[in-house]
Amino acid sequence: MIEAKNLSMKYEKGGRYALESASFYIDRGEFVFFVGSSGAGKSTLLKLIIREIRPTDGVLKIFGRDVGRLPRHRLPYLRRNIGMVFQDFRLMEERSVYDNVAFAMVVIGVSRREIRKRVPHVLGLVGLHDKAKTRVCDLSGGEQQRVGLARAIANRPAMIIADEPTGNLDPGTTLDIMNLLRSINLRGTTVLVATHNREIVDRFKKRVLYLENGKLIGDEQKGIYAHVH
Amino acid sequence: MSISSFFYIIVETFKGLYRNRWMCITSTGVVVVTLLMLGVFMLVNLNISHITETVKEQVEIVVYIDETADQEMLDELGQKLSAHSGVAGIRYVSSEEHMNRLHRQLGGMLEGYDAELDNPLLASYEIRTVVPESVAVLASEFETYPGVSTVFYGQGYVENLFAVTGVVQMVGLALMAGLSITAVFLISHTIKLTVMMRKREISIMKYVGATNWFIRWPFVLEGLLMGFAGAVMPLVALYYLYQFSLEWVSANNLAFLTLLPAWVVTVELARYLVPLGTGLGVLGSVFSMGRFLRV
Ligand SMILES: Nc1ncnc2c1ncn2[C@@H]1O[C@H](COP(=O)(O)OP(=O)(O)OP(=O)(O)O)[C@@H](O)[C@H]1O
Ligand SMILES: [Mg+2]
Repeated sequence: MIEAKNLSMKYEKGGRYALESASFYIDRGEFVFFVGSSGAGKSTLLKLIIREIRPTDGVLKIFGRDVGRLPRHRLPYLRRNIGMVFQDFRLMEERSVYDNVAFAMVVIGVSRREIRKRVPHVLGLVGLHDKAKTRVCDLSGGEQQRVGLARAIANRPAMIIADEPTGNLDPGTTLDIMNLLRSINLRGTTVLVATHNREIVDRFKKRVLYLENGKLIGDEQKGIYAHVH
Repeated sequence: MSISSFFYIIVETFKGLYRNRWMCITSTGVVVVTLLMLGVFMLVNLNISHITETVKEQVEIVVYIDETADQEMLDELGQKLSAHSGVAGIRYVSSEEHMNRLHRQLGGMLEGYDAELDNPLLASYEIRTVVPESVAVLASEFETYPGVSTVFYGQGYVENLFAVTGVVQMVGLALMAGLSITAVFLISHTIKLTVMMRKREISIMKYVGATNWFIRWPFVLEGLLMGFAGAVMPLVALYYLYQFSLEWVSANNLAFLTLLPAWVVTVELARYLVPLGTGLGVLGSVFSMGRFLRV
């Protein structure tokens, strides 16, 4: 599903590598943590996957396609297969929970009938069925991130990418959100999470990719947060 | 495109226009002024060429006969003129007939003036030439004929008319070019404001995979509507303005000015103003978006 070969990224010519010669393979249906200290290159890697940035070197294949060579007009169709979840939620705060989720469907041309069926369903999955009409700014942080999750899965993507999805949440809420991500993964969706949360990584015992100064220094099945050589 | 996304685009377009209504009105206003000017120029132009067409079809050279010439000289002159190889036809117009014409053209302004007693107008031969371009040469030849007072031909007056309108047109065109650029700039600025206000929505749209065209549509429509409104308003104004001038012309007995009817003129104007206005609007929206929608 994701295949990286000597993948490298430099933001500025002559500058240092934000990601240097990383090679890995992620299969359909996996749950993978990306860990590493600040500036290690986690966000850079996730941005490469959604083609927000183009790799400087190497090859990155998503769904069998070389995204480095993907023409710009094909980009939307790549992104429809990837659900994004952000640390700062990135919701339309003045709009209702329902509107936020429906928006993601309207703008890619989903029919009204389908939207009316699908939105309550995904709100049910994240436990927000009774908050559909509430404005996002009247929700707690944990609830807002649930809206973010609902939006991410609204269009049934093959993969969810979450960049520090619980960075702004307290430990209890963090566990709720991570459990939701795990249940989404159990339904067959590939889930990639960049995180600093040691407790969660240790508890979940999923695959862990270790990054340091732009280099991929480890790859463990059922890994823990601390990297052991 | 589904019905829901179609409605989304329409609703977003009008929301954008409403949120920036003052800027919208300003930008549209500049388009209105630009096209109004263009419209007036076109109106004048259309009518001048119409008038000159009719003038051309009519008399080309007028030979005024000397007051002192007697009947014999008059006949001789007539024969000489009609025998000339460059002349297609001649017509004698007496001084009384000239006075009658003036009465018809100026109407009430000559009330009380006794034409029988004191008629200052000269009799003339009106001449149509075989080749219209030869009028200047022929006119100077006719001037030397006995019994001729002065020779007048419309050409010079038409040329002057064109020279004057030419200068006015150049100034007008320069002004309009400036105004068009201002209009495009203002429209793009207005749309930029809506783009800014919708930054978050746009970034979300990109992440969930909306196509660039889908994202652009509300902004393109916004520009298009401003440009279209900027074209329709001057058209309506020009229609009534023109209608009013037509009425003024006929009320003042200036019927010799043969003007085109209002609806013909308006349709002709619309053919230029509507594409121009919408073009300016779309150009403005294209300039406003480039940077934001590239990811
Ligand atoms: N837009 C950018 N322009 C230039 N350099 C950048 C840019 N984004 C990131 N970098 C640099 O790339 C390197 C990796 O950054 P990245 O954001 O991938 O780290 P990270 O692992 O996500 O860190 P954090 O845990 O703090 O989010 C850092 O040195 C950073 O300064
Ligand atoms: Mg990061």
